Amino acid sequence: MFRAPLRQLACYQRTRNMFLIKLIFTALVAGLTVNGVTGAQELSPREIMERVDRVLRGSSSHGMATMQVTTENWERQMTMEIWSLGTEYSLVRLRAPQKEAGTATLMADKDIWNYLPKVDRTIKMPASMMGGAWMGSHFTNDDLVKESQLVEDYNIEIAYKGDRDGVTVWEFLLTPLPEAAVVWGHLEYQVRQQDYMPLWARYYDEDGELSRTMTFSEFVDLGGRLVPAVMDLQPADKPHERTTMRYETLEFDIDLERSFFSLQTLQRQR
Amino acid sequence: MSDNPWFRIGWRNLGRHRKRTVLTALGLAVGYFAAVFTIGYSEGLMAEMVENATGLVSGQIEIHDAEYRPERSLYDTIGGRDGVNITRLLDGVSTDPGVVAVAPRVYAGGLVSSGESTSAGMLMGIDPERELTVSRFLDELVEGRVPEQGRNELAIGVEMARQLAVGVGDDVIIVAPGADGSMGNDLYAVSGIFRTGMPELDASNAVLPLADLQTLITLDPSRIHEIAVTIQNPWIANDTAERLATILNPDDLALEVAPWTELNPIIVEFVALADAVYGIVFVIVFGVAIFGVANTMLMSTYERRREIAVMLAMGARPGSVVKTVLYEAGVMGLLALALGVVISLPLMLWWNIAPIDLSRLYGDLTIQGALLRPVLRVELDLAYWIWGGVALVATALIAALYPAARAARIPPADALSGL
Repeated sequence: MFRAPLRQLACYQRTRNMFLIKLIFTALVAGLTVNGVTGAQELSPREIMERVDRVLRGSSSHGMATMQVTTENWERQMTMEIWSLGTEYSLVRLRAPQKEAGTATLMADKDIWNYLPKVDRTIKMPASMMGGAWMGSHFTNDDLVKESQLVEDYNIEIAYKGDRDGVTVWEFLLTPLPEAAVVWGHLEYQVRQQDYMPLWARYYDEDGELSRTMTFSEFVDLGGRLVPAVMDLQPADKPHERTTMRYETLEFDIDLERSFFSLQTLQRQR
Repeated sequence: MSDNPWFRIGWRNLGRHRKRTVLTALGLAVGYFAAVFTIGYSEGLMAEMVENATGLVSGQIEIHDAEYRPERSLYDTIGGRDGVNITRLLDGVSTDPGVVAVAPRVYAGGLVSSGESTSAGMLMGIDPERELTVSRFLDELVEGRVPEQGRNELAIGVEMARQLAVGVGDDVIIVAPGADGSMGNDLYAVSGIFRTGMPELDASNAVLPLADLQTLITLDPSRIHEIAVTIQNPWIANDTAERLATILNPDDLALEVAPWTELNPIIVEFVALADAVYGIVFVIVFGVAIFGVANTMLMSTYERRREIAVMLAMGARPGSVVKTVLYEAGVMGLLALALGVVISLPLMLWWNIAPIDLSRLYGDLTIQGALLRPVLRVELDLAYWIWGGVALVATALIAALYPAARAARIPPADALSGL
């Protein structure tokens, strides 16, 4: 009788923390890759991913985003402000709805803290809870952490190269390396060749069943870079549920120090 | 029967070697005690298991929305989204004569945090007054008292208290996803610390007044997940559940009324298995005794070869000789039974009334989520005492069959001539 609420909790936790961070990464991957396209020389799949990875590190960003979560039981929209530095640091603060404004999440060196303005306390996520969820959205925690190390954890090969609906794309097949501790059986990733924009990512479980699909859209210029402004995550087993993240503003390479990503900043309610 | 000469002969033979008779009877009596004790202790363990599985926390019958199990979703409350008139429903359940007490409950998952430590928590919303009449785990708290409504109080398990390093009076933060998708969070003072003996419960359960939990997770006051029911004894759960399902049916709620036998079928199987083992206990205990008795009877008939030969020579039929040996064995069996009851009754009564503390030998055990306290608790089940008695007398008679048959075939002439 006690397992189920704990499972609810686990889902909630899973979504809870890493999701934004992932979104940031994804946006950055998408946005920054463009700058990496220098010539027509053939890059290996790994080189493409490494390039993306290299560009990501050390870059900083700041932006505003809205997240729309639709579940069977409720629907809600949140507005949040996001800061990030490389893949190691990020800070997210809710701006709306009013009831939860000020709630913030800090990720630094794979540790996660949540600040709760109502009780003016900070909770550090225990290691066992790192597989958690954020605000009931459909983003899971583990793959978010792992997202930043796709190159390290997965063998990457081109599964398809050519036209899809009139767009020239690569389709990558990512299979976990034997020693990698990952949750997915394999991943499929479609990237537009012309500007290195990701179009979708499909996540499969260990039995090879599609688990969820992330779709990127609305490729616009934000902060001087081409990025997919909208990311939509849709779990395969719940066709009526989805989480949609939309960037409203985004700026890159801003002046952010590592010291910004501290508990003091987290607890500063602004 | 005393005018039956064959019976008299058998009876008197018992007095021929009193010590031997008493020792043999004592052997049987100890066997009887062993059987009755083994079964009584096993029944005690079963009773302990059933009582704790059903009475400590969960209740003997649980009423949920038909959709609630096995997912136990936050949203599958009794009566669906619209909720239900809780008081009326509880009163309806209480009208059944088998029902002793009822209590409403709300469940949610959340994080319980203090300082640097955070635990995953199973949040249980209770009506403090009603809950105390249904479950036992809040009856005797390790420390403090049951939380009161409207004061931001909660009770947690000992293991959680240890992990969070909090005591009574300390504050903890609870973060729990609400029914509207929001993240409920608030500060609560620990008012009490309980101990169920079940590690997973003591480490993860946090108990709040029902209305306070509903507020935290933005659940409407008319929405609850469970009604826990206590009945007169666990073994009438199936019938009572069926009656309750009928009583509650006209309310047009899609309810599931589940007795513990359905919620915890493994325990039912466990009890059935134990019952089956009792037959084996009898076979083993008395199977060993049978050879001892047979030996005694062989000795006793062999000593009386000449006497039996005289009887046969004077015209007694072999059947009569068999009878007298069986009478002897049967009476010894009854003697042994009397002795056995005299040994067993006081000990068993003692252990039944005041179970011996065995915590030096072992700590709390849990089987399938049911707690077994480390006590030597025995049940007195008349049926097994009677079966034991029947088995004992049967043992004595069976053991005497071969000696009796041999005695009946003693050749009178040879025996009398000293061969």
